[in-house]
Amino acid sequence: MQDRIIMHIDVNSAFLSWQAVYNLQRGHSLDLREIPSAVGGNQATRHGIILARSIPAKNHGVKTGEPVWEAKTKCPGLVLVPPDRHLYMKCSSALMDILREYSPRVQQYSIDEAFLDYTGMEKRFGPPLVLAGRLKDRVREELGFTVNIGISCNKLLAKMASDFKKPDRVHTLFPGEIKDKMWPLPVENLFMVGKRTAKKLRSMGILTIGDIASADPDLLKYKLKSHGLLIYDYARGIENSAVFPGYYMPMKGMGNSSTIPFDVENTRTARLILLSLSETVAMRLRYSRSCCSVIAVSIKYSDFRHCSHQQKLLTPVNCTMDIYRTAARLFDEAWDGSPVRHMGVRASGLDRDNHIQCSVFDHPRYAGNLQLDKAIDRIRNAYGIKSVVRACFINSGICASLGGMGSENWPVMSSTL
Amino acid sequence: MKVLNKPVDMIAVFYSSGRVEPVRFRYDDTPVKVDRVLKRYSEKLAGNRRLCFVCINDGSKVYELKYEVDTQVWYLFKM
Repeated sequence: MQDRIIMHIDVNSAFLSWQAVYNLQRGHSLDLREIPSAVGGNQATRHGIILARSIPAKNHGVKTGEPVWEAKTKCPGLVLVPPDRHLYMKCSSALMDILREYSPRVQQYSIDEAFLDYTGMEKRFGPPLVLAGRLKDRVREELGFTVNIGISCNKLLAKMASDFKKPDRVHTLFPGEIKDKMWPLPVENLFMVGKRTAKKLRSMGILTIGDIASADPDLLKYKLKSHGLLIYDYARGIENSAVFPGYYMPMKGMGNSSTIPFDVENTRTARLILLSLSETVAMRLRYSRSCCSVIAVSIKYSDFRHCSHQQKLLTPVNCTMDIYRTAARLFDEAWDGSPVRHMGVRASGLDRDNHIQCSVFDHPRYAGNLQLDKAIDRIRNAYGIKSVVRACFINSGICASLGGMGSENWPVMSSTL
Repeated sequence: MKVLNKPVDMIAVFYSSGRVEPVRFRYDDTPVKVDRVLKRYSEKLAGNRRLCFVCINDGSKVYELKYEVDTQVWYLFKM
């Protein structure tokens, strides 16, 4: 079989450069990419972390994921812009549209990354390296932002290659080049090696990707279980998954969580927030025609301690009130009374909602609630999420539906290539 | 030319062929008739589609109008 040719396309500091291009289009004279700037949450509502930063900000030591105040102390002149999800979706789909012109097999891997299977397309568009150069230039001219493209024979190596030197570059990493280009890199650079694995590897005297490749696989398995064998294969460039067209990943669960602008100290407020989160989770469940049989609640205290608690249900549910009742009970069991800054409700053990086994222990108004939820969903779909709101939220200062909706059209990173 | 990017009220013709022709717009409460379109192109920066029209009035005054497809708003972009 002919060797595959896979490209990995990665937008350089995606959120920031998208915002920068959008601002330029609207006539701003300042290019955010050329000054120390970052996309960050609102500090007043405590959503204060850096989501993306420009290269000049990176040179000041600003890191993605760190609190805004920390970034501000490192770089006092840092220009902060709020995130704009709608814009990101627009940029992302415009990029995917261009990619699909070059191959029918394009897998959107996250909002700013995609794999493109170029195998067999050389006859139409020319050698991969030439096409990649053209593609990168076309994205820059047409959409205004820059991308890095990695080319190899599988998804892993292509992804590693696109990470080399940024921005606006094409890199190759074919198996013959692994030794020179990938093995000298530190272990953290390998896909699926995070902070903790890196620490364990370093304690074993494994410092570079090359060290992993030449390590004893039995030792890696002994220390890191099956994950050890996975990174052993990855370090040798072995990975065979196909490029799945579209963005499809079977969902295992869905949840919503939110950092609350103030610390929650009483049960009444906590319940309101749980209800608000249950509302969005249940709506998403019903939207995807699923029901769940496991409900979990997570709590982050103001001192950043974290705990979670879950329960398996007797019968699968997707009613807002059923989810809320369980979530409230779980919260009461788990909460130690300290101030809470972040709460989450998660539904898993998903199943289709077309057959539900009822039980004698179901809530007496189960069927009625089901109908009620259906009616409310229809109204909200037609007139917006705020068209029907529970009375308990009036004047409470709490949003009646916390947490984002529809990650269905918001591809998130996954550990599966 | 100076970049303004100011939303303006516009009278335009949308032909059945898909062609769009700006005719008349209001700038600071003064109606301005578009004399001639010198150049038209579309841009898709940040995935945001805009139809751009470089226009000229009185033989020498060049300005740029843009129509944002998603929001259906006309802008006097440059003058």
